[in-house]
Amino acid sequence: MRWQLAAFIMAGALATSSGTLMAHHSFAMFDQENPIELVGTVQEFKYTSPHSYLLLEVKGPDGSTTVWNLEGRAPSLMARDGWTSKTLQPGDEIILTIQPLRSGAPGGSWNTSIPKFKDGRPLQVTP
Amino acid sequence: MRSLVVAVALAASCAGVSSAQAFDESKYPDWAGEWRLGPPTKWDPSKPPGRGQEAPLTPEYQAVFEANLADQAAGGQGTDPTYICIPDGMPRAMNVVFPMEIVITPKTTYIMIEYLSMLRRIYTDGRDWPGDQEPSFMGYSIGKWVDEDGAGRYSLLEVETRNLKGPRAFDPSGIPLHKDNQTVVKERIYLDKANSDLLHDEITTIDHALTRPWTVMKNYRRNRNPRWVEAVCMEANPHVRIGKENYMMSADGYLMPAKKDQPPPDLRYFKQIGK
Repeated sequence: MRWQLAAFIMAGALATSSGTLMAHHSFAMFDQENPIELVGTVQEFKYTSPHSYLLLEVKGPDGSTTVWNLEGRAPSLMARDGWTSKTLQPGDEIILTIQPLRSGAPGGSWNTSIPKFKDGRPLQVTP
Repeated sequence: MRSLVVAVALAASCAGVSSAQAFDESKYPDWAGEWRLGPPTKWDPSKPPGRGQEAPLTPEYQAVFEANLADQAAGGQGTDPTYICIPDGMPRAMNVVFPMEIVITPKTTYIMIEYLSMLRRIYTDGRDWPGDQEPSFMGYSIGKWVDEDGAGRYSLLEVETRNLKGPRAFDPSGIPLHKDNQTVVKERIYLDKANSDLLHDEITTIDHALTRPWTVMKNYRRNRNPRWVEAVCMEANPHVRIGKENYMMSADGYLMPAKKDQPPPDLRYFKQIGK
């Protein structure tokens, strides 16, 4: 399955908003030079080890919905920045820059990004 | 300030550990708290990652490293085995991706690394190398406390680690160690003279994949108000290895390719529908 996300593709350099990569493993499977922006609804925020995961429902240009499996930082790092398992809730509508899987499958990484709420609310994170 | 050390010593005493030689905490340095190493994760913090590390690899292992980089460029994991929760092992564990805690007792110093729940035991009781110990990822570590300036208090812990098993790499870029696992790691761990919240670990790795001993300096920053987090790698790791290929699990639990145009795994032991 190859996703055409022309509406969401961000050309250019890696658009990251925080942090530098702390790697559990090589992140080579994720295309770090061609990030994309996803707009979607949080289905589940897994605050787990070795990484947190966001299951994000995203509508494609053709109106179909796909759930992306998106790898975030580890709770060991997020907790020290003030994140909790409740920072993101099912139903939250967010905008998120990810580095997609090179294969084109609906997976990616947001290790170096911070999501934004679509309605402009600030993310409640207090170290 | 050294309540943790006192508590551990007391617990050890209550547990029946010989108290013939009482633990005098004033002889040992204060290394309590949470020690962090800043990002990014790379073996020599003073150099760029990947080829920029200028690892002194033999021609044979430079070729292994280059093949690894080519695989990683295609979305593979190369020679980095940790994506399926294999622990870093030594010396990579001292990259301390998540913070570490150091607990000093008279006979053993423990380094507890939150990342991958790794534990190092450094024996300081004067023992010799065991003859019958099975190799392990963290290896067998023997340490020696040194009072460098004769002040009556130890300031330096010298450690040698042997008896390691693989697979291991230096860092996520896949800088390899030799398959014979004859690695010897020598460390000098000490507080900075001017800043007691800075811990140095001078690490020298001797390995048959290297043309010479490779020495790097790790500098850890102290947080005196630790906030420990459980980190169990197998809890939700979606990265899997089948055969020699790595894949990733999808949101709905199916296998996704990690590399562009990656074929599915060999299903020879499954009955094929439609054949």
